[in-house]
Amino acid sequence: MKRWLALLLAAATQAAAFTDEEVRAIAAHGPWPPAFAPDPSNRASGSKDAIELGERLFFERRLSANGAVSCSRCHIPERNWTDGEARAIGLARVDRNTMSVTNVRVQRWFGWDGANDSLWAQSLRPLLDAREMGVDASRIAKFVRQHADLACRYRRVFGAMPSEDEAVMVGVAKALAAFQETLSSGRTAFDEFRDALVKGDAAGIAAYPEDAKRGLRFFVGKGSCNVCHVGPAFTNGEFHDTGIPFFIEQGRVDPGRHAGIQKLRASEFNLLGRYNDDARRSTATGTTHVRLEHRNFGEFRTPSLRNLALSAPYMHNGSRETLRDVLDHYSTVSPDRLHADGEAILRALNLTARETDDLVAFLETLSDGGATYRRQPSAADCR
Amino acid sequence: MEKRRAAVRAAALSLVLGAGAALACELPGGPAQTIRSPTHSVVYRAAPRLGEHFAVEFAVCPAPEGVRVDAWMPAHRHGMNYVPAVKALGGGRYRAEGLLFHMPGEWEFVFVLRAHGATQRLVRGLRVE
Repeated sequence: MKRWLALLLAAATQAAAFTDEEVRAIAAHGPWPPAFAPDPSNRASGSKDAIELGERLFFERRLSANGAVSCSRCHIPERNWTDGEARAIGLARVDRNTMSVTNVRVQRWFGWDGANDSLWAQSLRPLLDAREMGVDASRIAKFVRQHADLACRYRRVFGAMPSEDEAVMVGVAKALAAFQETLSSGRTAFDEFRDALVKGDAAGIAAYPEDAKRGLRFFVGKGSCNVCHVGPAFTNGEFHDTGIPFFIEQGRVDPGRHAGIQKLRASEFNLLGRYNDDARRSTATGTTHVRLEHRNFGEFRTPSLRNLALSAPYMHNGSRETLRDVLDHYSTVSPDRLHADGEAILRALNLTARETDDLVAFLETLSDGGATYRRQPSAADCR
Repeated sequence: MEKRRAAVRAAALSLVLGAGAALACELPGGPAQTIRSPTHSVVYRAAPRLGEHFAVEFAVCPAPEGVRVDAWMPAHRHGMNYVPAVKALGGGRYRAEGLLFHMPGEWEFVFVLRAHGATQRLVRGLRVE
């Protein structure tokens, strides 16, 4: 009884430390995980057969120009579906860090520049990029048609095999998307705390480390980190200039969102095109209305913070090796490095050593401890 | 001098007519917000949720020659990342689609009206969480 009372008292003291406004802000980062909702633009979304086909395709190296690069070359299950490299290496080194595909289904835009508006369109990008997998519709369609098991599984998902190579390729991308939609991070120490706070569960509140609590308070308060890293996935899904240089090397820059919007509009695979399976175009609102402005130059998508501790290195170019490096950037960022005509959000946080420690402690509670993914044992060939 | 008096009378009449129209400005279908200027009223209804596309239904009285809707975060010095499209429904009523508030905080709805060769902005703040 004494122990219970002590716990209750301690929890009440801690809970009182969070204002109503802080509790509302913290509650907005859940619940987790979100319920699955099929993607209406992809008729294979949520289909067990499509997930099985997509899983095989994801690890299939013969879908690359040299037969050695699969999606899993950069999206490695044991590394939180990223690769640990500063900049990804497919057939050649590319300009950006590999974004994890964990929780990718909850995004509005895909890739650092949001050049794609669906997960299936995004899945085409590395296949077609000469530096990544370097194949084309003809090669993809030929491979799938000639592979008895994959062809059988393709027909099982989509019906007859299309005669058009491009349509076969889009089906491959939709199966890849169906598989990636299943890759979700699990519950974390933060989620347990957040739910306990919402329910007023004193023991649950008390179980969350004090340094993480202080870091969380800074995150939703003084730091205003939740202006961009908002919601259950800790991202607003949009694009910002965070003062990370967009120069790639001598004479080359990464225009980020500015080029991303132009690529999106030019793409025949966007949600306004013929490959969208949803006649109502119910998920195409963003594509219809997206605004292109000069300030988009050098903007990159706000990444999710879930499983952040498993996702190093950081930023669009992988230029920050550790969480502390990232915090150091935000602690010292100069407004002079931002667009003069851009948004006025960032300011140097001037973190103390203890604030940095607390933020790291909090951010580490957003990870689920590691991948639980296990490849399905190879089922009998499809006939 | 006579010309000036006529202009003043016309302006006063416009204000009176505008105010009369403003009083009568209605948007059927439930509770709505009203913004008034000396010459126009905007009655609008919206239920924005952070990070989700939404539409704004509104009426403008008297009906302007043109209308545009946007939104702005003054403290952050930026607007939305999307351009709303306004569709006239007839009778001074409209529907704007494609809005999205991508950040929590203080936003402003901005209705830009064009009438009699002039443009005016009617603004109303709201907090998004």
